[in-house]
Amino acid sequence: MSAAASPGKADTVMRVVEALLRQSFLLVMLACFLFFAFYNGAFLSLGNITNILEGSAILLVVSLGMTLVVAQGGIDLSVGVALDFGSAFAIVAMRDYDATWYVAILCGLAGGAIVGLLNAFLVVRLSVSPFLATLGVFFIGGSVQRIFTHGGGPISFRRLPLQYYDIAVGDVFGIPMKIVIGVAVLAVFYLLLERSLFGKRFHAIGMQPSAARIAGIATNAYVALGFVVASMTCAIGGIIASANLRMFTPLAGNAYLMQSIAAVFIGASMHPRGRPNVLGTAVGVLFLSMIANGLNLMGLDFNLKDALSGIILVVALVFAIAQRRLKH
Amino acid sequence: MTEPTGHILQMSGITKIFPGVVALDNANLAVREGHIHGLVGENGAGKSTIIKVLAGVYGRDAGEVVIDGAAMAAMTPAHVHAAGIRFIHQELHLVPHFTVAESVFMGQELQGWFGIKSRAMAEAAETFLKETLNAEIRGTTLIRDLGVAQRKLVQIARALIDNKARIVVFDEPTAPLASREIDQLFEAIARLKARGISMVYVSHYLGEITSICDQVTVFRNGRDVGVIEAIGPQDTGRMINMMVGRDISDLYPAKAHAPAAALLRVEALGDHKHFDNIDLEIRRGEIVGVAGLIGSGREELVDTIYGLRQPAAGRMLIDGKPVRLASPAAAVKQGIVLVPRDRRQDGLVLGMTVADNVNLASLEDVSRAYLINRPAAAKRADALAAKLDIRPRNVDTVARLLSGGNQQKVVLARWLATGSRLFILDEPTVGVDIGAKVEIYRLIERLAGDGAAVIVSSSDPNELIGLCDRIVVMLRGSIVANVDTATTSLDALIALTTGGELHEGAVA
Amino acid sequence: MTSLAQSPLAGVGRLVRAVAPSTPLIVFLAMFAYLGMASSNFLEPSTMALVLKQSVPTVVVCLGLATVVMAGGDDVVVGGIDLSVPATAVLAAAIIADLVSNHAMFIGYALLIGVAAGVVCGLVNAFLVVFFGMTPLLATFASSTAFIGISKVVTASRRINVGDPLIVWLRDGSIFGVPAGVICACLIAAVFYFVLHRTRWGLNLQAVGGSRDAAEMSGLSAARFIAQSFVIAGLVGGVASAFVLARGSGWTPGTEENLMMEMVLATFLGAAFSPRRIVTLWGAVLGAVLVSALSVGFGSVGIDIFWTGCIKGSLILIVVASAALSRKVNA
Repeated sequence: MSAAASPGKADTVMRVVEALLRQSFLLVMLACFLFFAFYNGAFLSLGNITNILEGSAILLVVSLGMTLVVAQGGIDLSVGVALDFGSAFAIVAMRDYDATWYVAILCGLAGGAIVGLLNAFLVVRLSVSPFLATLGVFFIGGSVQRIFTHGGGPISFRRLPLQYYDIAVGDVFGIPMKIVIGVAVLAVFYLLLERSLFGKRFHAIGMQPSAARIAGIATNAYVALGFVVASMTCAIGGIIASANLRMFTPLAGNAYLMQSIAAVFIGASMHPRGRPNVLGTAVGVLFLSMIANGLNLMGLDFNLKDALSGIILVVALVFAIAQRRLKH
Repeated sequence: MTEPTGHILQMSGITKIFPGVVALDNANLAVREGHIHGLVGENGAGKSTIIKVLAGVYGRDAGEVVIDGAAMAAMTPAHVHAAGIRFIHQELHLVPHFTVAESVFMGQELQGWFGIKSRAMAEAAETFLKETLNAEIRGTTLIRDLGVAQRKLVQIARALIDNKARIVVFDEPTAPLASREIDQLFEAIARLKARGISMVYVSHYLGEITSICDQVTVFRNGRDVGVIEAIGPQDTGRMINMMVGRDISDLYPAKAHAPAAALLRVEALGDHKHFDNIDLEIRRGEIVGVAGLIGSGREELVDTIYGLRQPAAGRMLIDGKPVRLASPAAAVKQGIVLVPRDRRQDGLVLGMTVADNVNLASLEDVSRAYLINRPAAAKRADALAAKLDIRPRNVDTVARLLSGGNQQKVVLARWLATGSRLFILDEPTVGVDIGAKVEIYRLIERLAGDGAAVIVSSSDPNELIGLCDRIVVMLRGSIVANVDTATTSLDALIALTTGGELHEGAVA
Repeated sequence: MTSLAQSPLAGVGRLVRAVAPSTPLIVFLAMFAYLGMASSNFLEPSTMALVLKQSVPTVVVCLGLATVVMAGGDDVVVGGIDLSVPATAVLAAAIIADLVSNHAMFIGYALLIGVAAGVVCGLVNAFLVVFFGMTPLLATFASSTAFIGISKVVTASRRINVGDPLIVWLRDGSIFGVPAGVICACLIAAVFYFVLHRTRWGLNLQAVGGSRDAAEMSGLSAARFIAQSFVIAGLVGGVASAFVLARGSGWTPGTEENLMMEMVLATFLGAAFSPRRIVTLWGAVLGAVLVSALSVGFGSVGIDIFWTGCIKGSLILIVVASAALSRKVNA
């Protein structure tokens, strides 16, 4: 049994320090929030806050897919490809095949599923490590998009069905549709990963695959399922993006890769046992979106902003992982 | 041959306490210069702990270590190395794609103006292997191209190449070797002895101990219980007596279960690698033991029955119907469950709570519409925790924080929740304290009493005799005996498992 | 009795097992056979010289990656890998290009600063991996994103032409008819061979990668060697920048992706072709040349440049999957 801990003063201090450490991301977030608010009054306006939330939707959806894969012990570098495929399949279905808006959505999801199935096949059947398998798919996916678009030019489709366009610009009772979709996917993932029996199994596989297997869980099936669901979720992000811009932009998804990884690890660092979790990921996404928005408002040079957010990502990752190690 | 010589190593009054466990309790070990000193005892008797204290891996809580007349105050691995003590660990620790010479000289390579002197190193390694260990191995051969015995010799050469070794400690050196290879190793050990090197030889194989050692120290329950001088084959019985002691009485429950119809039949099962031609039958309400040393194929057989490994030959029948278990999931569907030997790795998900671990295999029962009904899950886990007396009783405790015995109870609770009919228990009480051991034994007895079939695979002969109806004994991949525990003595069982020479007790 | 070994599925399994390890070789031979037939000049000496010239930057970054793999072990997940060497090279190239073309700095100083930047990148990786305990894959993947970001700040994401004589010489010059870049790459490879295979330090580094336990028991500090390997990879990235500039006649945004793809493919390809199936220096060099031959070959047959990325990506998966499968069989 664990060593007896005397409930003394030192213990209380330790607990406070530990809680502070665990919530330090929230503190950093608060500090950044205050900094941006102080620096530029426009940051706090309702319009800008809505902007941040709306702008988080795609990253949130992609990060949730990533959360699922990381929770089951892998990583998915092909989230960007899945996103792009979702966007491309939907746009092409409508432009070249006159698909209705819901058929187009289904096509987009199918595009994501193709990427997920390829990942699942490589990881489960061919025993390639998730990192290398999805890295390969990342390369191939990028190349396929360039081939398909003859070098990377966007495929635009101005005459989108109105319902499809509404995915990006519509609203439900005045709440922007992107926020509605983001919250809905968040709720589904929360139920799936944190409340359902499937979630328990995913987490068990991610923590100790051999123990999960011996407990009678069909680990291979779950890993495969996880990759497919994650890719289809990313495709939702692609569908939003394509509706927003009324076109498919090749390789646009890659921008979300590192950000989604960072969001997942930031979220994990806030979990008492350092596990990737849905709500933590959501906080991580908000943090990253807020930084991006704040830097935008500061009017920095595009490249400098890019570099800064890259460095912030690495620092956030280091911070999250070092903190997780501290706990063990 | 056994004229009294001085002691080169004296460890006296060594005590080592781990949280909750006294691993060594005032233990002594004295090795004479130039002799081969055997060290025997059952699992958990303290052999490996005292070796680790000697290696400087564990600090000691009390006691004195004297090497060559000089007391060792600080003992770090570096100090021990400098004092001329070398360890031949059970694991080989060799780099497969290195050459023999590179492996022998690792960390002390010969370097000249134009880099590494490969040829000189190869020649030196060859000469050393030839002269000191009587082995013909080319210095430029890759480790991966060597057999296990030759790798063992390379490992020994690496320990001795600097010619400063005074004492060499062998830890189970023959476990992976075939009998012909063992002879080669023994020849090398004889050469070392002729050069005046003292040795400590730790082994489960009593036949080896009696044939190469000069003296033997027997360990039991964390202390030395006796030293046998001038050991020979005639001492096997005495050694077993000392290892086992005579203080096991109320540990095991009365056997009240009654075997009924056959549940599992295994016919000519084999994987052509670790075991072959295994025939086995387990009836409902029966506890069958599987005995065998590491490397006997016991572990692989158990894994194969659970679907963790696939057999290459033979078949399995449940209730007379052939089944093929492609995975543990398939086994669990058939009502076959495993309590694995490596509890921390395979038994439970250490980062999850007790409740999650208990419910992990039967989440459907506590879910509605695929969502876990948390109160119901907690309630069932609570009930099972109470039934098995899992402590702390709070089922929200993370499994990592539980003691070994309580962790094992969590694994058992998980399988009780699924209503299983064949329990495979692999080393069910390793790393479990005596109190929890008794509880686990009672529980196993109750399983059989309730009509489940139970397989207990164990390296503890006491446990097998105390618990089982029948014991099948495996040796180097085959079943060599199938004995009734009512008519088998402990000594006879140990003799069977170790391949030693002792013929008393009924062998069916 | 129904013996499992007789089922047709098991027969297929055996076939897969027998073929899996040599799949990369078969695929490669088939590709070269196709290229040799389809393109009349693929096997001419001038094409071969072009292949070698084109392969120089990849060869150099591969040497860096190979060093990290040799020190960290070839388990992809927990072993050593450094995906940031191309990003390091691109960042160093950006700095050199900016200093030379926009600030008219002497090329020698600029190269020194570029190499120093590479070493700093290597230190960052070493710190992330050894001190913070990040897995090398994630650490170097993340750091390469940051390095690329910085390189864009340096160059404002615009192409910078470099017409410095030294860089031009690396591209076009030759000594006794052998391209200058190729000679430099050979020299660098020779230095690496000597240091890694002919010195005590190199052998100890390999021992750490081969079996961390064995090395630690021989008194070697694994962490130290792993950290050093990352710094060396950073240094190599810095040196490779000169060849990146030479190959592209300056700095072009987006060079890193292709370089990274070629590096990963070449390194694993080299391992698949090596007799011991481990990452080696010669394997990495051979792999880089083969990959370059593929690129040049596809170009000469007139295959769309976008297809080569797809083919290379598929090849990575074939190589990695066949290695994983044959390991699974041997386990």
